[in-house]
Amino acid sequence: MSYQTSPQLYTSRRRTNWNRNQNTVAFVSSVKLGTVAHTVLIALMITVLGLIYVTQAARATGYDYEAQKIDSQIAALETQKSDLEVENARLTALENVQQSNVAKAMSEPAATDYVR
Amino acid sequence: MQLSLQKGSRAVVLGSLLLFVMLLFAARLFHLQIIKHDDYVAQAQAEHMKPLVIPAKRGLIYALDGDKPIKLVMNQTVYTLFADPVAVEDKQKILEVIRKVAGGNLRPDLDKLLAKSDTRYQILGTKLTRHQAEIIKKESLKGIGFQAVSQRVYPEGGLAAQTLGFVNTEGKGQYGIEGSLDDRLVGQDGLLKSVTDVSGVPLTIGKDNINQPARDGENIVLSIDRNIQAQTEKVLTAALEKSGAKQGSVMVMDPQTGRVMAMANMPTYKPAEYFRVQDASAFNNAVVAVPYEAGSVIKALTVAVGLDRGAIQADSTYVNTDKIKVGDKEIGNATKGQTGMITMQRALDYSLNTGMVTIAQRLGDGSINQAARNVMYEYFHDRFGLGKRTGIELLGEAQGSVTTPSVPGAAVQYATMSFGQGMNVTMTQVAAAFSAAINGGVYYRPTVIAGTVDVDDVTFNESAPEVVRRDVVQPATSQAVREMVYEARKRFHGDKDRAGYEVGGKTGTSQTLIGGRYVDEQTIGSYLGYGGDDRPRYVIMVQVSGEGMNLEGGKHAMPIFTDISNWMIDYLKLQPKG
Repeated sequence: MSYQTSPQLYTSRRRTNWNRNQNTVAFVSSVKLGTVAHTVLIALMITVLGLIYVTQAARATGYDYEAQKIDSQIAALETQKSDLEVENARLTALENVQQSNVAKAMSEPAATDYVR
Repeated sequence: MQLSLQKGSRAVVLGSLLLFVMLLFAARLFHLQIIKHDDYVAQAQAEHMKPLVIPAKRGLIYALDGDKPIKLVMNQTVYTLFADPVAVEDKQKILEVIRKVAGGNLRPDLDKLLAKSDTRYQILGTKLTRHQAEIIKKESLKGIGFQAVSQRVYPEGGLAAQTLGFVNTEGKGQYGIEGSLDDRLVGQDGLLKSVTDVSGVPLTIGKDNINQPARDGENIVLSIDRNIQAQTEKVLTAALEKSGAKQGSVMVMDPQTGRVMAMANMPTYKPAEYFRVQDASAFNNAVVAVPYEAGSVIKALTVAVGLDRGAIQADSTYVNTDKIKVGDKEIGNATKGQTGMITMQRALDYSLNTGMVTIAQRLGDGSINQAARNVMYEYFHDRFGLGKRTGIELLGEAQGSVTTPSVPGAAVQYATMSFGQGMNVTMTQVAAAFSAAINGGVYYRPTVIAGTVDVDDVTFNESAPEVVRRDVVQPATSQAVREMVYEARKRFHGDKDRAGYEVGGKTGTSQTLIGGRYVDEQTIGSYLGYGGDDRPRYVIMVQVSGEGMNLEGGKHAMPIFTDISNWMIDYLKLQPKG
C-alpha cells in the first residue's frame, strides 16, 4: 500500500480578509531617490565618519602633547630634586660639618659617667 | 539592430590604448601594494616609529651613619654644551653669554671651535650645572644646544675611595664596589617605541607602540660607617706623616657579624677625579687585594690551634733558648733574653718564635711531622680561611697562599708559618680569622654590604650576616685566646687603653723577601687587636710599610690601633666593666 502526499494548499485568513484595526492602505513616499543621490548620501556618511575619526585622533594627539609637556616638567623637577639632594648631602658631609662654626665651638667633655 | 564599433576605428584604438595603460597601472600597483607590501610597510614604520631608550638610573651607594643609611655616591645630571657652527648666528653674543655663565667649564679657543664650518657638532663646554644650562637656554642662542649626562658625585669627597671604586667614561664600574657589583648597580634601560611627530614627540596613535619602563639599578648600603671610616683615615694619615711610612692600611671589622666598618688605604685618591691619578696602584684596596706575610699577628691564631687541640694551655711551659732547630734550619727569636722555662703566655707577650714553633711541634708529638702539618693546614686554611678568597664583595680580592702539608721542606715552612712568615695572606683573611678565634668560634663571611635601600629611597632592607662555619674553635678555646691576647697587650700597652674596657692585641713585624732573601732592613709593621665590653665589639688590623723602611708593629702600627680603639669605645658608647 502506498501513500501519496499532495501539496497542502493553505491560505492565511489575513491574506484574504482585513481585520479590525489594521491599515488597509500602505504609505508610499512620492520622493524617489535615484542612484546618484544614494551615492552622495553614502559618501557624506563616510565623510562624517571620517571626520569623527580625525577629530578623535587629533584629540588623542593633543593629549599626547599634554602628556609630553607634563613628562618634561616631571623630568625637570626630578633633576631639580636630585640637585637639591646632592647639595644637601654635600652640606651635611662630615668635612663640612667638622669645619662648621658650630663644630669648632664645641669642646671635649671633661669626664664621662655611665648609667648602670 | 545591434550596435558595434567598426574594426580598426579610432575609438577601438583609443579604447585598446586606454585598456593597456590601465593594465600597466594595475600591474604597477599590484607590484607596489602586493609584492612589495612588506618592504614599504617596514619603510613607513621606520620613518614613523622611533625607538627611544629610557636610560636606567645607576643605583646609589650608601654608607651607614650609626644604623642609618646616608648617601655616599649619588647621581647628578650635568650638561654638555655644544654648538652647530653652521647654524650659529651671533658668535659674539654666544661667546659673551657662555663665558659669563660657565667660564670654568668651557674649552679653550672657543672662537676657533665656532668658526669650524666643516662640522655640525662642536663641544664648547662640559659638566655645566642645571642652573648654568637654564640661564644659557633663556638667551635663545641660535645654534647652541645641550646634552644631559649623568655623572657620579661623591658628597664625602675621597672617603672610602678604594672601597667604592669609580665609574669610567663609558659608564662601567671600575674597582671596589662599583666594579664588583656593576651588574646590580647598572640596572636595565627601558624602551619606548612609538609613532612620533616631526619634532620627535611620541604619540599614542598606532597599534605597535611599546613602552617598557627602565629598571633602575639597586641602591646598595655598605656596612662602612662613615664616622668610623673618616676617623680611621684621619688617624692613618696622621700616623703615616709622623712615621714617614709610605703606605698604610687599616681594617675595622665587627667580629660578631663579619661586617667591615671601615677600610682605609693610603695613599688614596678622589673617585670624582680618578683620571688625575698617576699611579694606578692607588686604586687597589690593599686590605683585600695585596697578600703579604703578616708576621707575628698570626701567633694569636697559632695559639688558638694549640689550645683547641689541647697541645697547650696559657700556663704551659717550655724551655726557651732563643733558638730552636727544625730540620737543618735554626730559627731564632727577634726578642732575646726571655730564656729558661717560660709559659706560652709569656711567649705570646714577648712574641717569641720559639714558643710558636714549640706549639707546632707539640701538635705532632714533638716534631712538625705530617700529622702536625695536617692539623695546622686544617686550621689555618680550612677553618680560619687563610690562603682562600673570603668572598668579600670587592673587585680584585687576592687568594694568598698557604703551603700544603706534603711539599718537600714543609716542616721548616710550617715552622715559619707558626709565626706568620712563609705564607701570604690578606688583611681581610687575617681579620676574619681572628674574629672567629675570639667571638666564640663562628666564622662570618667578611662583607662590606649591610643591605639595600628600596627605589623609594626610604626602606632599608638589612641583610643578615652569613655564617660560614660555627666550629672554627671551641667556645672555651675562643675565651682562652681572648684572655691571652688581652694579657699580651696589657703587659706592654695596657696603660694606653681606656680603663675598664677589654682591649687585646698582638704586634707583628715581618721581614720582606728581597732577592729571594728575608731582610731586616725593610719590614712591615702590623697590629691585630680587638676591643669591647662584655664581648668583642670590634677587630682592628693595621699595616704600615714603605720601601727601604724598617717599620715595627709595636712602634708604628700599634699607635694607630690605640687611637682608633679609644675613639671606637666612645663612638660605640661602650660601658666600662666593673
